[in-house]
Amino acid sequence: MNVQNPIQFEPITAAHSGPVELTILPEATRFNLRIDPAGLAAASTAFGVDLPERIGGWAESATRSAICLGPDEWVLLAEETDRQAIEASFAGIYSDVPHSLTDISDREIAIEITGDRAAELLTVACPRNLDAIAPGSGVRTLFDSAQVVLYRDTSDKFRIEVWRSFFPHVWELLIIANKELASGL
Amino acid sequence: MTAFRIPGKGRVNHDTAVRFRFDGKSYGGVEGDTVASALLANGVHLMGRSFKYHRPRGPVTAGSEEPNALIGTSRGKGRFEPNTRATVQEIYDGLKAESQNKWPSLNFDIGAVNDRLYMLFSAGFYYKTFMWPKSFWDRVYEPVIRAAAGLGVSPSEPDPDSYASRYLHCDVLIVGAGPAGLAAALTAGRSGSDVVIVDEHTEMGGTLLSEDQVQIAGQSAWDWLSATLDELKGMNNVRLMTRTTAIGYYHQNMVALSQKLTDHLAAVPGNAPRERMWRVRANQVVLAQGAIERPLVFDGNDRPGVMFAGAAQTYLNRYGVKVGERAVIVTSHDSAWYCAFDLADAGVAVAAIADTRDEIAPEFAQMAADKGIEVLKGHTVSSTTGRLRVKSVLVNPVRNGKVGASRTIDCDALLMCGGWTPSLHLFSHTKGSLNWDSEAEVFLPGDKTEACHIAGAGRGLWGIARALEDGANAGSEAAIAAGYATEVGLYPVEADRTGGGVTHKELPSDRDAGKAKAFIDFQNDVTAKDIRLAVREGMRSIEHVKRYTTNGMATDQGKLSNMNGLTIAADAVGKEAPKVGLTTFRPPYTPTSFGTFAGYHKDAHFELTRKTPIDGWAEENEAAFEPVSLWRRAWYFPLSGEDMHRAVARECKATRQSLGMFDASTLGKIEVSGPDAVEFMNRMYTNPWTKLAAGRCRYGLLLGEDGYIRDDGVIGRLSQDKFHVTTTTGGAARVLNMMEDYLQTEWPDLKVWLTSTTEQWATIALNGPNARKLIEPFVEGQDLSEEAFPHMSVSECKVAGIPARLFRISFTGELGFEINVPARYGRELWEKLYEAGQQYDVCPYGTETMHVLRAEKGYIIVGQDTDGTVTPDDAGIGWAVGKKKPDFVGMRSLKRPDLVAEGRKQLVGLLTDDPKTLLEEGAQIVADPKQPIPMKMIGHVTSSYWSEALGRTIALAVVEGGRSRMGESLHIPMPDRVLSAKVTETVFYDPEGERLKA
Repeated sequence: MNVQNPIQFEPITAAHSGPVELTILPEATRFNLRIDPAGLAAASTAFGVDLPERIGGWAESATRSAICLGPDEWVLLAEETDRQAIEASFAGIYSDVPHSLTDISDREIAIEITGDRAAELLTVACPRNLDAIAPGSGVRTLFDSAQVVLYRDTSDKFRIEVWRSFFPHVWELLIIANKELASGL
Repeated sequence: MTAFRIPGKGRVNHDTAVRFRFDGKSYGGVEGDTVASALLANGVHLMGRSFKYHRPRGPVTAGSEEPNALIGTSRGKGRFEPNTRATVQEIYDGLKAESQNKWPSLNFDIGAVNDRLYMLFSAGFYYKTFMWPKSFWDRVYEPVIRAAAGLGVSPSEPDPDSYASRYLHCDVLIVGAGPAGLAAALTAGRSGSDVVIVDEHTEMGGTLLSEDQVQIAGQSAWDWLSATLDELKGMNNVRLMTRTTAIGYYHQNMVALSQKLTDHLAAVPGNAPRERMWRVRANQVVLAQGAIERPLVFDGNDRPGVMFAGAAQTYLNRYGVKVGERAVIVTSHDSAWYCAFDLADAGVAVAAIADTRDEIAPEFAQMAADKGIEVLKGHTVSSTTGRLRVKSVLVNPVRNGKVGASRTIDCDALLMCGGWTPSLHLFSHTKGSLNWDSEAEVFLPGDKTEACHIAGAGRGLWGIARALEDGANAGSEAAIAAGYATEVGLYPVEADRTGGGVTHKELPSDRDAGKAKAFIDFQNDVTAKDIRLAVREGMRSIEHVKRYTTNGMATDQGKLSNMNGLTIAADAVGKEAPKVGLTTFRPPYTPTSFGTFAGYHKDAHFELTRKTPIDGWAEENEAAFEPVSLWRRAWYFPLSGEDMHRAVARECKATRQSLGMFDASTLGKIEVSGPDAVEFMNRMYTNPWTKLAAGRCRYGLLLGEDGYIRDDGVIGRLSQDKFHVTTTTGGAARVLNMMEDYLQTEWPDLKVWLTSTTEQWATIALNGPNARKLIEPFVEGQDLSEEAFPHMSVSECKVAGIPARLFRISFTGELGFEINVPARYGRELWEKLYEAGQQYDVCPYGTETMHVLRAEKGYIIVGQDTDGTVTPDDAGIGWAVGKKKPDFVGMRSLKRPDLVAEGRKQLVGLLTDDPKTLLEEGAQIVADPKQPIPMKMIGHVTSSYWSEALGRTIALAVVEGGRSRMGESLHIPMPDRVLSAKVTETVFYDPEGERLKA
């Protein structure tokens, strides 16, 4: 199946509009996992990553990662080809550990934001204190008026996941702000 | 070098000349000048005309509190800004500035006739003078008053500049970079805390910029300032921001900063924003805003050349500008004496110092004598002369309350000081309480509501030594509160200028008080006698006096006028000032451009617009769009030459005859999943869900606790534990929030979870007799026959090789399917179906056709046919309410007496007597059009369309007791005629529903 370009007004390329590199990441598998924390061990086994217990915690294996966004809520990220395997694996524990595993792969579009001034760029529209988001963690927050999940990979590498229809607004603002950084004022 | 510039003096760069224009004339200034300082250096005091009386005015201050010297600036097309303060606007090569509120010229202004007619313009004049005849108000008085009053002219072109926004978090935010703020920054910065220090001026230093004689820690003031700024800049935990005004102080230490980025630049870099709004969340805030000088109130205190002594000192010491050649000082505070001495040292002839006080420090008298300045103790000012510039001042001795004969002293600058008012604006934003200091007669900060610390002159402390000490302590308190250990530095000061003073109501005079033009509010032209008149006419609270006289209501928010207004009002009322009250300051502290507030929200980025994955196809195919909540949706697809009516008629016809396709992706979708999913559905929705088999769908109706319809949608049961819920487009977020709310607060025991999947799926609706024929070849894994996949079925299968959730449902009354595929495939599938559909003349249709087709079937739209007061029975869908259910949201309310009463408004159909007449949605309905006005309205039209299928118009309406009025004629009065219509059932087309089973 030929994957449709989700972005109708901008090609999937790094946008060199300023000092920060903006990249639309390729499609991935995403699940919203809702589960009683008592079942976390079973879910960790099913997914193959120890699911973080703290809200904001982000745990990774080689190809999968999981972020905790609420007391009973996780987002699972995996490679595009892993979808069915993960579904099957969680189906196997459902009768013992009931949960909700909902495919949200297409709900979101991911943007990678890299560079010395990446955090500064995000301050144009993110009300959170970015210094309080340690590398290897993430938060659900706002970017301008859009809800996003903001991951901090390293001190100068972030990832924004945003609902598909909110994406153009977020992307456009990132580019406006990147140009603003380039202006020097 | 211009006439009034002292070579080498001040902080301006004398070596870099700058040329600018004011009212068309070219002037020279130097780098570092404001428009005001540069014009003063050229001997120009006259910079504007006043608001009401068109009196000539010049700058009275040297800062952002300036009420008089308001100018228009222009940087090219669309870049005109009115009411810019000349005392703040920096000059650059090519700046064009102009004066305001004058015609034909600043020197000769026709509007100044108002000054002669001042008796007409007393307090509240527009409530009195222009009352009769009443009809004149709209046509004559208001337009004339509006044209005559006002200051600058509003810009008429779109603003081409861009504006920016940032969020910022810090441990300590310091507002004001005078001695107190700088000392606070040193303490807090050295502690390692994250510090932000902001100042509205071009450079930091505050008072130090105007008082270079002070020695701090053995250094001259300016050397100390330079070393301090270097140290602060060297700390990577300290951020210094100039040209940045803290405009508002909001809850939980959120402070808004407005930063000016380009207004001082001759050449602006590409993509640079003009201004930036910073939203700072500070753990601790230090307010070191200083104090604002207070005018003395006497006749003629507003002539060009009359200004604050402190301002004259700033122009002299910071800008190297003499404000005149022959000055007179009138003061009630020691600070102005130093101004006199500085001016005398700079070669200005100081003719006299008139002090209202009988006692002054002997060393002042001695210094004055040494400098040859005449000292007039216990004196008042009774008037001034001069038209475009002050020429002389009349001073009188006051002995035992008696005003003696006046004496005229020639001068071209009259420098006044009526004391200093601590700047409490930001503190006032926090709703912190104010304490009245009856000795100093000022308000001081009292109880705090936020984590803030007030330092220096802002809390009534006078002198640089005390400001430094207090600032250092405040910085320490703030840093400690933010969790850092501090060491408070010591700042020994020599040659400090301490002292005190008294405050006054209007100065005593031997002249007729009724004729005195003694201004309190320079910007709104409010005089002392206006305040007294307001009190005589019954105003007792300062809030009423303020509104009646407009005192303090100009853009400077009474920075100069509030305390004098209060003092005089209190005197007139006969109470102490705090009993009369102080008006509340509100953000922004200084005028702020709309652009700064709007930030990035302009043009295409004005508001977030959601688009579906299929939106691009609709755009390429020239759809007309309409906004539906945040979404933009294809409204109809006009062929060339078609208007909306014809396009919709064609789309309706094509769908009913063969096949239509519709982008339904905006429908809200919620995945309800878990072992208790069915129990949760039973409790939320009115319908029973237990017996709904997997693979089947049901229309779901959601009520609020009040029993009124909130939302609806078709819900599919995918498996025993999983439901695919759809909601209205606008209701998606609301419904999910409501469900989560119940789940988390009422039923935390239920093992069920909710996930928004609105955007996971792109949804394509296919309707029409050929719908099955079109999709059958694409579908894998589901038999589409009537037997295997009847109306109201759902299946997880593949469509065109894409994993899909396929529904057989219909919102049109035709055979219908809705295909949900992962959003990335939405457009591709749409295009495939469109191509394959050509054999059936497939017709893409938009929301308008969808509305018509559903109305023909009597299907309601929540929010259009319901308005938050409609029950299921009112809407005629009582069948959707489970009669045997133990409970669901809204069930108890449905039994309320008024919800079961006779005569409630019920949804019915309306057919106009003339089949071509289209009713207006929202039109009111009456039973008897001949009854007297006001008529009793018994309902209104909720939906109204041309039905191509019926060849006539149709309408839905809510009407009192509607269902018992079948066949009855009702009337719809319109502005030009009364329309008549018959009440019918709501289903106009295929009432047996045969077409669904095709």
